[in-house]
Amino acid sequence: MLRLLRTASFRFTLIYVLVFAGSVALLGAFIYQQTFGSAEQEVDRVIDGEFQVLAEVFAKEGPAALRRATQDRAAWRDGGIYMLIGAPSGVPLAGNLTALPPEALTADAGFFNFTFERPRADALGKEAGVEIRQGRAKIRRFRASPDAENFFLVFIARDVSDRERLRERTSRLILQLAFATIALGLVIGLAFSHSLMRQVDAVNKTARAISTGDLSKRIALTGAGDELENLAMNLNGMLDQIERLMNGMKEVSDNIAHDLRSPLTRIRNRLTEALNADPAAKDEAVRATLAEAESMIGTFNALLSIARIESGEGAGAMELVDIVAIAQEMAELYEPAAQEAGFALVLKTEAAPPVRGSRALISQALANLLDNALKYAVGGTTIEISVRKSQKGYVRLAVADDGPGVPPGDREHIFQRFVRLESSRSTQGSGLGLSLVAAIARAHGAALKVDAGGLGGSQPGLSIALVFPPRARA
Amino acid sequence: MRILVIEDDAEAAAFISKGLRDAGHVVDHAVDGETGLKMAEAGDYDAYVVDRMLPKLDGLSLLSRRRNAGDATPALFLSALGEVDDRVAGLKAGGDDYLVKPYAFSELLARVEALGRRRAPSNVTTRYAVGDLEIDVITRTVRRAGKKIDLQPREFRLLEYLMRHAGQVVTRTMLLENVWEYHFDPQTNVIDVHISRLRSKIDKEFERPLLKTIRGAGYTIEDAA
Repeated sequence: MLRLLRTASFRFTLIYVLVFAGSVALLGAFIYQQTFGSAEQEVDRVIDGEFQVLAEVFAKEGPAALRRATQDRAAWRDGGIYMLIGAPSGVPLAGNLTALPPEALTADAGFFNFTFERPRADALGKEAGVEIRQGRAKIRRFRASPDAENFFLVFIARDVSDRERLRERTSRLILQLAFATIALGLVIGLAFSHSLMRQVDAVNKTARAISTGDLSKRIALTGAGDELENLAMNLNGMLDQIERLMNGMKEVSDNIAHDLRSPLTRIRNRLTEALNADPAAKDEAVRATLAEAESMIGTFNALLSIARIESGEGAGAMELVDIVAIAQEMAELYEPAAQEAGFALVLKTEAAPPVRGSRALISQALANLLDNALKYAVGGTTIEISVRKSQKGYVRLAVADDGPGVPPGDREHIFQRFVRLESSRSTQGSGLGLSLVAAIARAHGAALKVDAGGLGGSQPGLSIALVFPPRARA
Repeated sequence: MRILVIEDDAEAAAFISKGLRDAGHVVDHAVDGETGLKMAEAGDYDAYVVDRMLPKLDGLSLLSRRRNAGDATPALFLSALGEVDDRVAGLKAGGDDYLVKPYAFSELLARVEALGRRRAPSNVTTRYAVGDLEIDVITRTVRRAGKKIDLQPREFRLLEYLMRHAGQVVTRTMLLENVWEYHFDPQTNVIDVHISRLRSKIDKEFERPLLKTIRGAGYTIEDAA
């Protein structure tokens, strides 16, 4: 619970509730002022008006007329309360109140509130006890002349009980409303914070599980499609990538262990034997060991390159590169080698927009594809490098041959590390060339397409293409 | 050449030093960056071979300091870090060449000797001659025994690079880097085939072959009996 109160969402709710309750109170005060502020003044004005009328009657027609007028008004029963008292004798002369309220004795010239008793009428109009009512009054002295000793105390009041009751009810209502707003806000805020905290807790729990080593954990999605789910999806995506990289690293170390252990064993055996061998055999052992070391270094470098490219490192700066230019340069570099191996190296390009990438990596990929074709397109006659542009702006860099090709079922395996298809076991190579191509394609967001060569001839051939996304989407 | 090797791995340093001495060079060895810096300041060397990761002062800082002090002695970085960015960092710090571990000694030797030649005044010449083979870098003409030989532009650059380093061993990787500007190890014999094409144009009809293959190392162009 205490934790709940400390959550950011609860803090926000609290601020929101306070602001909202404040505006409710302000609104209440406004309504109150508008409704009762003017009503009070209205009562005061009526009372002053009555004084004025009575004062005129007194001035023009004298005490008897004042008494009569007071009596008349008291009889009207329109809520007006009147009392005329002769002073200093204190004899009540007219009015509908039995005695002056005690508040009148201490009152000064202004308005004051007082309570009085009135017979209560029940539903049938019969008297049923008394009720306490509230009034608002003013008291004034009427003198015949400024220095006259005798004067009249004139007490005029209005019954304001109904209005007072309404006022009380209204202010109570406004207060209740304000409290209800606060209470409701707090409850909703707590519920809201609780639900938010639960979702954040789910994320935290997953994160803790992952940091203790379980990389396969993912944040459960609520299906709400809100920003929290969006966050969860992004985090999950990030975790997928991390897991992929971790698995890649693990695979690399597994591969290193697998692929370097056997040559190391051979080296040790050879050297052990060489210890007791004759000089000629020793020389031979050293030469073989050297060759083995060279090939291990090659394997090792290729593995490291793949791992670094896959981790997004080592790609150098991604810049705009001209695939056609790279294809031309590589064609020129490989043309003599292809010719010597009995292939015609054909270059087919069309104008293509530049691609965001690394010249070094793309040329490396192309070199590996060409090496691959030279090595495995046995019996073929043509190797074709092609650059084509799709209407949507994709740029397709492909190397095709008319060698034996790869059966469709095996095609997806050729990019895995150390995979060397049964048919090519006898040929030299680390089995990493195409894995490196795949890693480079991934680093560029390019799709890899493997197909038959499509160059004609008696063999199916093989075509491997990197399809680079349009620049805006790369 | 007087060569300063700054390398903390004692065995590697001994291996490099011995190899360079066997090739006729004078070698001094420093085991850490600070010692290396002091020796470089004090001595007059023709080339530095600097490991990138060194105790006390790393190779990049060491060379930056020498360059800032006006020392233009050519330097070759040795590094276990071999990606494009690392290479660029090395060259930015003032390195003239960059070699990634593990390397073959023949590669190291060829590159160090190429560095030494770079410093020589012959650098500014525009004509090179080996035996009766002459090239003019400005007019881009090649003659052997006075007879004009037509070369493709890339073949000319290949020959030019070899001629600039006449008498030295030039490795396949050096050729790929300097003639084609690619930094990877070709799996197949791409370079060899270019060389044999070049050879067929400049050597084939003549009695004395000038372009020679050095087994296990690379190529050299020289007029040796």
